[in-house]
Amino acid sequence: MKASVSTDARRAAARQSQKEATRQKVLAAARELFDTHGYQGATVRDIARHAGVAVGSVFTTFASKGEILSEVMQSRLDGLYGELDRVMPHLRGSTADRLRTMFAIHFNFEAQHVRLFLSHIAAAYDWTLPPAARPYGRTPRLQEIIHECLHKGVEEGDVCREANLQEIVDLLMAAYAWTYRLVVTRSYDTNALTEVMDRQIGLIAEGFRPR
Amino acid sequence: MKHISPNQVAAESPVRAPTRRALAKQQTRAKVLAAARKLFSEEGYEGATIRDIAAAAGMSTGAVFANFTDKSDLFREIMTADTEALLDSMREAASRGRGVEDALLKVFMAGYSFYKSRLPLARAAFGVSWTPDGGPVLRSLGPVQGMHELFTEQLNLAIENGELRQEAEAKLRSQMLFEAYLSNFVQAIFEGWSLEALQARARDQIRILLAGARRG
Repeated sequence: MKASVSTDARRAAARQSQKEATRQKVLAAARELFDTHGYQGATVRDIARHAGVAVGSVFTTFASKGEILSEVMQSRLDGLYGELDRVMPHLRGSTADRLRTMFAIHFNFEAQHVRLFLSHIAAAYDWTLPPAARPYGRTPRLQEIIHECLHKGVEEGDVCREANLQEIVDLLMAAYAWTYRLVVTRSYDTNALTEVMDRQIGLIAEGFRPR
Repeated sequence: MKHISPNQVAAESPVRAPTRRALAKQQTRAKVLAAARKLFSEEGYEGATIRDIAAAAGMSTGAVFANFTDKSDLFREIMTADTEALLDSMREAASRGRGVEDALLKVFMAGYSFYKSRLPLARAAFGVSWTPDGGPVLRSLGPVQGMHELFTEQLNLAIENGELRQEAEAKLRSQMLFEAYLSNFVQAIFEGWSLEALQARARDQIRILLAGARRG
């Protein structure tokens, strides 16, 4: 009996690691295809073929294409947030300047993958997205980083104490998302995007300054 | 000379026959558009197929294609009709405003009230607006451009009457106001915010975005 239990356990472990391997293959293939074809342009069938796995096994690992995208973005963003966690505590200057640096880091990071980023935003409205997935606009980590930045501003006295910080966060997120549209509509490069975002941050900062 | 009876004239007149055809065509188009509106709201843009739309309208896919080029054509027609109606009510709302903040708030609220009963369609439209092909099409619709202009007009008016400073960066500021207006749909769609909650949020946003342009 004991032997059979451990055989079962070994089999289960083997299944598990196979499942994990499939998962990683699917995520790598999806990352490439979303980047080159956009979210709408890449079907689950394409992703499966590119990953060299059966369509069926994609669906035993992920509930939907929306969930795949959500995971792809999550693993990419972990790198970005790691960088921000290192940099942010050492930033000097006004709150507006610290926000400018933070968003400039974002633009540099996303510059090579703008289509993927836009896919991420489009998918926020996708019907197949599970409620637990966090599409753009509800990415908690970015919101936290902005919150921390503003809190520090309140302590240092250049952000109004009575300001509703969540509203400022949402305004910054809206400005940031719109700026990305300029890549599509006007082929802006990273520097142009950063420059527009800097002006928008300045304008929002006028609204949160203590009076 | 060949005799033509008055009845024949009525039946075969080149003026009347096309009118009837045009009327029938118009009714077909209206039926397809109603079915498409329903399916886009229920299934999203990607999820709704021409086949399903045709079935819901009680006609063949061929009949749908006789009236519309493709799915994006259908979607564009629906969005054009809606945004035209919305732009009218936004203009009316702006004219009732007392001062620039109030006028802008009324414009925001005209939008949220309009879409209150059709949030699923708004959700579909936001999805399309972020796709590489659909985005530019939606943004370039006449009435959508009209909304941009309405926001800019409100700021320019306030600059003229001295409410806002001369160097108020009206262009960037009105763009940001428009984006703030759009961004609140996320709360309306996904978190079920009431009109009151949206109004409180919008009032603060407008205040923040105008703060630096105030005189004095």
